[in-house]
Amino acid sequence: MRRPTRSTTRSRLRLRDRFGTGLSGLGSRPGRTLLTALGIALGIASMVTVVGISSSSKADLLAELDALGTNLLQVRPGQSLFGDEAVLPTDAATMLRAVPTVLDAVGVTSISGDVTRNEHDDDPYGLSVVATDGRLVDVLQLELASGRSIDAETQSLPVAVLGAVAAERLAIADASGGPTVTIDSVKFQVIGILKPHALHPDLDRSVLIGEAHARDDLGIDPNHSAVYVRVEPSLIEESRPILARTANPVSPNEVEVSRPSDALEAQTKVDQNLQNLLLALGGVALLVGGVGIANIMVISVIERRSEIGLRRALGATRGHISSQFVIEAAALSTLGGALGLGMGVAATWIYADSQGWSLAIPVQALLAGIAAALAIGAFAGLYPATKAARLDPADAVRPHG
Amino acid sequence: MTPALELRNVTRLYPGEPPIRALDGVDLRIDPGEMIAIVGPSGSGKSTLLNIMGTLDRPTSGDVLIDGIDTASLGDRQRSGLRSGRLGFIFQSFHLLEGMRVVDNVANGLLYRGIDRSTRLKRAREALELVGLADRAATRPPKLSGGQRQRVAIARALVGDPALILADEPTGNLDSQTSEDILELLEDLNAHHGATIAIITHDLEVAERIPRRINVRDGRVEDTAAPPPIPVEVPA
Repeated sequence: MRRPTRSTTRSRLRLRDRFGTGLSGLGSRPGRTLLTALGIALGIASMVTVVGISSSSKADLLAELDALGTNLLQVRPGQSLFGDEAVLPTDAATMLRAVPTVLDAVGVTSISGDVTRNEHDDDPYGLSVVATDGRLVDVLQLELASGRSIDAETQSLPVAVLGAVAAERLAIADASGGPTVTIDSVKFQVIGILKPHALHPDLDRSVLIGEAHARDDLGIDPNHSAVYVRVEPSLIEESRPILARTANPVSPNEVEVSRPSDALEAQTKVDQNLQNLLLALGGVALLVGGVGIANIMVISVIERRSEIGLRRALGATRGHISSQFVIEAAALSTLGGALGLGMGVAATWIYADSQGWSLAIPVQALLAGIAAALAIGAFAGLYPATKAARLDPADAVRPHG
Repeated sequence: MTPALELRNVTRLYPGEPPIRALDGVDLRIDPGEMIAIVGPSGSGKSTLLNIMGTLDRPTSGDVLIDGIDTASLGDRQRSGLRSGRLGFIFQSFHLLEGMRVVDNVANGLLYRGIDRSTRLKRAREALELVGLADRAATRPPKLSGGQRQRVAIARALVGDPALILADEPTGNLDSQTSEDILELLEDLNAHHGATIAIITHDLEVAERIPRRINVRDGRVEDTAAPPPIPVEVPA
């Protein structure tokens, strides 16, 4: 009697063939393969879309912030020690311009006044009036939709520049042809219309008039309600305390210095909660897809009893059988994952395009999607694979027992 | 000469009250180059005997030696290796994988030996030549007749040049003319290519043309090399 040596009797399946047998089951039932993969595809697609849309929108916002510059600071009067509204000294803007780290500064003054289309119009348009000078366009980097802005030449004339919303409400689409508006029954010629501005939505609802005109002809005190300051980008934090002391040397505590871009940036963080919720929903869809795969694989094991019996008779070990089914489940799920990535990228692209954003999906999200699909598939395949491996080979080769 | 298969005092009990003796002290030796018939009515223990000969089942007691290798101490991987290397199976219902080409089905006979694909396909084509189906290599099984399918299955069983081919009712699903052809093929493979074949059948006509018969009844075997007639129970 011979004792078996390991090499003469051990069953062996090459790695390539291991994958080959694992994939062979998928191709023979294309319809079922596709439907089962769809469950995973929807889960991955929704997660990719959530991540894709939010990162595309964030990228867009950050690009916008970058373009606007994050070195813009706003100096406002705060409250006095006794809780009264403080006032900025009238020369605050001039003083601020003298600070070495300040590139430029411009003051704006809110003026109370009703803006209407003409003297016979008494509809409320909900617009505010702001007096400023020619520096505003440069400091805030405002863009004009049409016409020209308040500048050194026009700031002493009875002219107005409309914010984007103001123009829309007053039904003035174009500054050419000399349209006019009235402010408290005084006529102003509209010389320009601004484009919407992300950092200063309040300007969109404003009518700008020249500071010199307001002071000299209308008799309004230019008590700046805010001074916008562009500072050296590398010295933003260092500049803040200096700005307060310069704007109001007597009581710097009554000055608030803020950065408008901070508020916008904070908005992107608020969205994070919603994004997490949607991601969790995508995760649930993915789990449901995984359960679907496990289900189909269990059915597949029952249907393919005789194939399993045959393979055992041909020399497959229990390990070969279970790896065949795990690979099949993982491949099924990965196929769904790839399908889902395609769907998710397409959905994100369509949405981003409709919003005028450029597509920005982090590569890590795509890799994580595929990895998640692979892992879920392999995990979903474990139970059916174990069931398949435990089938009694003698029983399995028997016709329909 | 090492026997292709040797059973020594093999008993197989199935649990029950009292336990069912499916096989009861069976001794059997098949030498290389032999062709035998294992005959018996259903319920006689024929299927159990086949499973034990094919290492798909283990005996409760006794020794099973395949090509001189004692199977008692082998784990799953080695028993599976024994099947892939030294045994060939032919089934009543053919057991072909419908989605695969004929030549791939035959090559599956070598799949679990760790042989590379091109060698498997080359040997599969040679085996198809032997069973007269070389021209159908690229066909898929659903396009074949029953007799052709069984030829494919036979090619798969012999592609690995096993020590013993176990054929379980190989003509059970075939009409009489096709059965005749299949038996002639098996006889030819035995006579001219040295294949060792055990045919398990309840069909007397099949059994009668094979010189050595093992009659199985109530878990015991009666070995006869004597020419017919021999009394055999025929199931309904």
